[in-house]
Amino acid sequence: MQTLRRSPLYVLLAIGAAVSLVPFLWMVIASTHTTAEIFSTPMPFLPGGELWTNLARLQEETGFARVMLNSVLVATLYTVFSCIVSAMCGYGLAKYRFRGRGLMLGGVLLTMMIPGQVLLVPLFQMMASVGWINSFQALILPFLANAFGIFLMRQAFLEFPDSLIESARIDGASEIKTFYRIVLPVARPQLAALVIYTFISQWNSFIWPLLMLNSEEKYTLPVALNTMVGLSRVDYSGLMLGSLLATLPLLIVFLLFQKQFISGLMGGAVKG
Amino acid sequence: MFNPMKLAAPAIALALLTGCAGGGVPAQSGAALKPDAEVSGAITVWSWDVAATALKRLATSYSAEHPGTTIKVVDIGYDNAYDKMSVSLQANSGLPDVITVETDRMPSYVTQFPKGFTDLAPLIDNATDDFDPSKIAASSDNEGRLLSLPWDSGTVGLFVRTDYFAEVGIDPASIKTWDELVTAGEAIKKKTGHTLISTDLSGGGIFSMLLQQQGKGTFDSVGDIDLNSPEAVQALTLMKTMNDKGLLHNVKGWDGQVTAAKDGKSATNPEAVWWIGTLTGEAPELSGKYGVQPLPAFTDGGGTTSNNGGSTLAVPTQAKNPGLAGSFVKYVLANKENQVSMMKDEGLFPSYLPAFTDPLFAEPQEYFGGQKVYQLFAEQTAKIPAGITNVDSAKAGDIVANAVVSTVLNGADPATELKSAAEQIATATGRKIAQ
Amino acid sequence: MTATLTRPSAPKEGRSTARSAAGRAARRAARRHRPGYFFIAPALALFALFFIYPLVSSFIQSFQSISGGETSWVGLAQYQRLLDDPLVAQSLFNVFLILVIQVPLMVCIAIGLAYILNQSWVRFRTGFRAIYFLPAVTTLVAYSLVFRVMLATDGGAANQLLGMVGMDPIDWLNSEGWARVALIASITWRWTGYNMIIILAGLQAIPAEQYEAARIDGAGRWAVFSRIVVPQLRPVILFSSITSTIGALQLFDENFILTGGGPNNATLTPVLYLYKVGFQQFDFGYASAIAWLVVAIIAVISVVQFRIMREKS
Repeated sequence: MQTLRRSPLYVLLAIGAAVSLVPFLWMVIASTHTTAEIFSTPMPFLPGGELWTNLARLQEETGFARVMLNSVLVATLYTVFSCIVSAMCGYGLAKYRFRGRGLMLGGVLLTMMIPGQVLLVPLFQMMASVGWINSFQALILPFLANAFGIFLMRQAFLEFPDSLIESARIDGASEIKTFYRIVLPVARPQLAALVIYTFISQWNSFIWPLLMLNSEEKYTLPVALNTMVGLSRVDYSGLMLGSLLATLPLLIVFLLFQKQFISGLMGGAVKG
Repeated sequence: MFNPMKLAAPAIALALLTGCAGGGVPAQSGAALKPDAEVSGAITVWSWDVAATALKRLATSYSAEHPGTTIKVVDIGYDNAYDKMSVSLQANSGLPDVITVETDRMPSYVTQFPKGFTDLAPLIDNATDDFDPSKIAASSDNEGRLLSLPWDSGTVGLFVRTDYFAEVGIDPASIKTWDELVTAGEAIKKKTGHTLISTDLSGGGIFSMLLQQQGKGTFDSVGDIDLNSPEAVQALTLMKTMNDKGLLHNVKGWDGQVTAAKDGKSATNPEAVWWIGTLTGEAPELSGKYGVQPLPAFTDGGGTTSNNGGSTLAVPTQAKNPGLAGSFVKYVLANKENQVSMMKDEGLFPSYLPAFTDPLFAEPQEYFGGQKVYQLFAEQTAKIPAGITNVDSAKAGDIVANAVVSTVLNGADPATELKSAAEQIATATGRKIAQ
Repeated sequence: MTATLTRPSAPKEGRSTARSAAGRAARRAARRHRPGYFFIAPALALFALFFIYPLVSSFIQSFQSISGGETSWVGLAQYQRLLDDPLVAQSLFNVFLILVIQVPLMVCIAIGLAYILNQSWVRFRTGFRAIYFLPAVTTLVAYSLVFRVMLATDGGAANQLLGMVGMDPIDWLNSEGWARVALIASITWRWTGYNMIIILAGLQAIPAEQYEAARIDGAGRWAVFSRIVVPQLRPVILFSSITSTIGALQLFDENFILTGGGPNNATLTPVLYLYKVGFQQFDFGYASAIAWLVVAIIAVISVVQFRIMREKS
């Protein structure tokens, strides 16, 4: 009965899911064809037999395995440190009323408001002057303090009950201990969202790594995939396969961390 | 607690300001290159796509012939390559010894970063006549320095679906002018339903190609805005006429062109020589259905070719080993044997005219029903009128594209739209409108 | 430094007898909040190191003109140009259109989706979440090709669907109106799932007891949603709105890829214009002025959003 009554909802959800999924499925199909086949009419609707050829070419032309490793390394390091910085700063901004707090929040928001394109040249000069061009630290360090992440965490901690923090203080816990023993565990869902967001933003970051990296052995995924876009020819089948494979680690990160969004808290609450 | 930080931040900023301020002005003005300098050491070269493949191949043979030299070729990808190079030029650091720059982009680099590139004329003993004249014009500054060496040309011809023309009984070779082509197009449309040309109108379509065919551009040789010229009006009117008669098929980007070609949407395609590579690569099933001929002229005896694309190699003044860089550039580009090998292996059509004497260019091409298409393009290359581009071409390009859209798609009057575009460009760039 | 900062300082009552009680309380409060500096220190140091120079530099550049390799001071001339430039006005108009239509649309869909996919009785929750999130992880190059193929005027998936219900094909990317529609649709497609996840995380932080209490009060489904869920989500919704506003005003990727700002500048945005001015026309001075105009506009809108959401600060 209930399922029947809810079926319109499922239909809606399914339509939405199809809209989200169709382009992705098309990538799957495209990555198993040659570029010539992708552009034939009608478009292929079933997987073709070119997957292994495309994979071999992808590996040969971009050193895909190595590039993937570079990306995993950079994105993981970045995510770990950036999340620590963001969570700390967000907590500080949300729960302490120190002097200059408004200024700090304003500053954080300012770095988010300025279009990044105008910062590229001066940041590039900085990196060049300290000799960091073609290094991984140039990809990681400048953006470690991430305004989006800090703002996300501040908003997350705002609603955190003060009473819990108070009682920890009364128990004599240090501020740091309160933070990582009491506050962080409760904010797990939001931390998970932060990790997912941070990882993706570094993983898909393109322009800055393109500017910084000058040798193919150091390329990250987006930079390497970009080399398959030619002037008069584009290797779309290779690109689609590369993009598809590039998405898999993100999906894994998503599925791992979304477990933190344990459902069922409101289980009985909304039964109709 | 907060105060020390407050003080420290501006201090660090100040240190950085003094440490790495500099702007886009290089300290040095570039090494003086000699044709036969001693070379040693290592260089890095930036390129993309098949061009990078070609350079990697020739780097190996160069090093074999010149012991003690290492050449590292990095494929930086075509998309956004200019962002990478422009940022380095602006920051005055980070560029390698040799960079690839497309012909159309070179004039704006030459104007904006006049001290950014090394003069290559001494390298080839000023023998600029050996190259595609339109490319030499694009690579030179107004002091007569040659700031990049032409590599490949985008010589334009008319790709023709011979089977469509056969259906209506018209011999494509008999078509000498655009008016005749439009008439033939109408017959084909009526009989087969196919359009005449597939083009990307939102980017301006074939307008700039048609301008250059007539030896004109958005700007004239002294840099005034030249859009009110009869040639410009004629070109845009032609496009409008085609669209009004239902002969234009509007597509988006390279992938749109490929799909249109594979579907056989249009009977002809005025396109550069590199389109051969796209056709043979992505549409092998159409082998035998295409022919190539010179572009139709606007008037009898008028120009029958144009240029679309093509690259050059430049040695930035930031180069750490300009001697070796120059020597390698000369080895790759001003060398018949290597230019021919790049044509053969990577499909890069030479700008170096002596290369065309090679028998390779006289070979019949099976894809084109045995036609000697490369010979045709080779003959046309020396005749390409110089295209005029400058630092404001990018800005003007968007305005011109909008004029094309308003005229062709939205039915505005060509002369009026071009006049208004000229005025917009004048406002945006502060340039004069030619009378 | 960390040691003294991390311990809440024990009040030393004896010494402060001479000072007023109010002053004492204020000082105690200040001391209590001092560990805040410790928590923001890493971020502050990183911002100071890596952002102050670029920010200051771009600000200075907006008062300069660089041409032919020569830099000169031009005062407010670049800002003067902003006022007279029809493309600035056009790009702002475009972006406000997107802001007014797309941002509320997307945030509402995201809230609804997050709410539904947070219900324990919904089957395949994890699957649905992952699927809705997929667009946010797609690489740009794949995104661009997929959308161009789907929006192709003839043979594109969108027009084939329209054809099935008997409608004429639409010239998506070449007509000013439809190009805007296509752009809004593609942004919504890409970012809704992402916002859904942020809001979902916020929903998870609402204690179960609050729902229980509401249920005991006999509140209906809508009452629970509007009286419990939305107020609790306020900070998260504010985050989503502000970041989406910034995303809209800084819109670049989608229109760069799909339309290049055309047709006839109908999808030109300030940041795309800034990119063209700076990186294609090398007018970095003017590009910086545009950037700071964008900053000013976002700042004003953000302040308004903070006010509307009545955040106590």
